Amino acid sequence: MKLLYKEAALAAHPTSIVFAFLGCLVIVPAYPYTVIFMFGCLAPYITLLYARETNDAWYTAVLPVTKRESVKGKCMLIICIQLFQLLISIPCVFLRGALKLENNPVGIDATIAYYGFGLIIYAVYDLIFFPTYYKNGYQAGKAFVVASIPMLLLMVATEAAVHFPALAWLDSYAPGDLLRQTPILLAGILCYIVLLLLAYRISVKRFERVDL
Amino acid sequence: MTDLLQVNNLSKRYPGFVLQNVSFSVKPGRIMGLIGKNGAGKSTTLKSMLNMVRPECGTVTMLGMDFFQHEKECKQKIGVVFGGIDFYPLKKLSSITAVTRRFYPDWDQRRYEGYLLQFSLDESKQFKALSNGMKVKYLLALALSHHAQLYLLDEPTSGLDPVSRDEILHIFTRIVKDGKRSILFSTHITSDLDRCADDITYIQNGKVLQSADKQTFLRSFEHLKASEDTGPLTLEEIMLRTEGRYLDETAL
Repeated sequence: MKLLYKEAALAAHPTSIVFAFLGCLVIVPAYPYTVIFMFGCLAPYITLLYARETNDAWYTAVLPVTKRESVKGKCMLIICIQLFQLLISIPCVFLRGALKLENNPVGIDATIAYYGFGLIIYAVYDLIFFPTYYKNGYQAGKAFVVASIPMLLLMVATEAAVHFPALAWLDSYAPGDLLRQTPILLAGILCYIVLLLLAYRISVKRFERVDL
Repeated sequence: MTDLLQVNNLSKRYPGFVLQNVSFSVKPGRIMGLIGKNGAGKSTTLKSMLNMVRPECGTVTMLGMDFFQHEKECKQKIGVVFGGIDFYPLKKLSSITAVTRRFYPDWDQRRYEGYLLQFSLDESKQFKALSNGMKVKYLLALALSHHAQLYLLDEPTSGLDPVSRDEILHIFTRIVKDGKRSILFSTHITSDLDRCADDITYIQNGKVLQSADKQTFLRSFEHLKASEDTGPLTLEEIMLRTEGRYLDETAL
C-alpha cells in the first residue's frame, strides 16, 4: 500500500486522476464511448511522462524499494485508474437507464460487452506500453505511439461492430442479449489479468537491466 | 570489527568509460572520502553499489548482507543522498517527507524536525523553491532521520556555503562518534575531507588508485612532494599532481 500511496501522492499527474473520472461520460447521450478507454490509456502515458520529468525513478531508487517494486507501483496505480474508470461508469449507466435516454446513436452502448471490450483494449495497450517504456525507462512518447496503434484498431472495431445487424446484440440491454454478452466480459477480465501480469513481468525484466 | 561496507571488484562498462575492479571497505565509526576528478567514476561507483546501474561483476556487502540479494533490507538501514538531483519540483517538502517516512520503520520524526530547524527548512515550500544548498540540506535531513547505520552521500557539500558545510561536517563527525555508524561520501571539495575524513579512496579513470586510512594515504603520495614542500601534501595537491595538472603560474 505504501507503494501505491507514494505513486498517488507524488508520482501521479493530476490529469491522470481526472481521466479516471471520465468513466462518467457514458451518461452523454451520443458519444463514442470507447474514447473513454483512450483516456484510460492516456493516463499511463501522462503518468510515466510526468514521472520521468520529476526524477521519480531516482527518488524511488534511493528508497528501500527495488526496481521490481518500482515497476509494481506504477502498474498498481494504472490498474487502479483504469478499473476505477470502469467502476465509476456503472452507476452512470443505471442513471442513463433511469433517465430513459435513447440508445447511443454513435456506436456501442455501455453494455456488458462494452466492458469486456474495454478490458481487452486496456490489456493489449498495457501489454505493449509498459514493456516498451521500461526498455529504457524514459521513452514514454514512443511507448504511447506504439501501444496506441492496436488500441485505436480495437476501438474502431468495437464501435463499428454494432453497426452490423448480425452483431446488434452487442449493443442491446435486453436481458437475453446481456446474458449472451457475459462471456465477452469474462474474456475481458481474464485477458486483463493475464496480459497485465505478462506486461509487469516483462517490464521488470527490462527495467532491471536499465542504468539510471 | 566487521566492515559496514565492503566493495569487491565492482566493474561497470559504458561506451568510452570503464569502472574497473573497484574495491574498498569502510569500518564502523569511520568517515571515508571518495575523491577523484570529474568523470573518474565516483558517482558510477555509488550508483553501481546501489544497483541503480547494473554492474557487470563485483560484490557489495552492506551491514553484513549481500546488497544485491537483500537490497530492500540494506536500503532500510542506509541513508543516501545524491546532490544535484531534483525530485518532484512542484511538491511541498511536507508531501515528500510524508511519503518518505512510510518506507522507514525507524523513522524519527523528532530528529527530522530538529534538522528542519537546524537547517532553517520550511516544509510548506515547494522543492523547486529551495536553493541548491537548501535542497541538499533537505535531502540530508531525510537521510539522517531514520537511524541509518551507513550513509552513502554523493557530493553532499556541493552548493553549500562555508558555514553550512562546516555545520554538515560537524554533523558527520557526530554521527560516527558512537563507533557504530559510518559515512562514505564522494566530493571534489577535498578540504572537507582534510577536516573530517578518516579514510580516503582515490579513483582515477575508473580504477582505485589508493584506498587507505588518511595517514597511510598521505604517506603513499609522498613521492609527489617537491623540494619546496615543507609540510605534508594536502589532498588537493595530491589530486592536482597525480592528475598532472600543475598550475601554470605564467598562464595569466
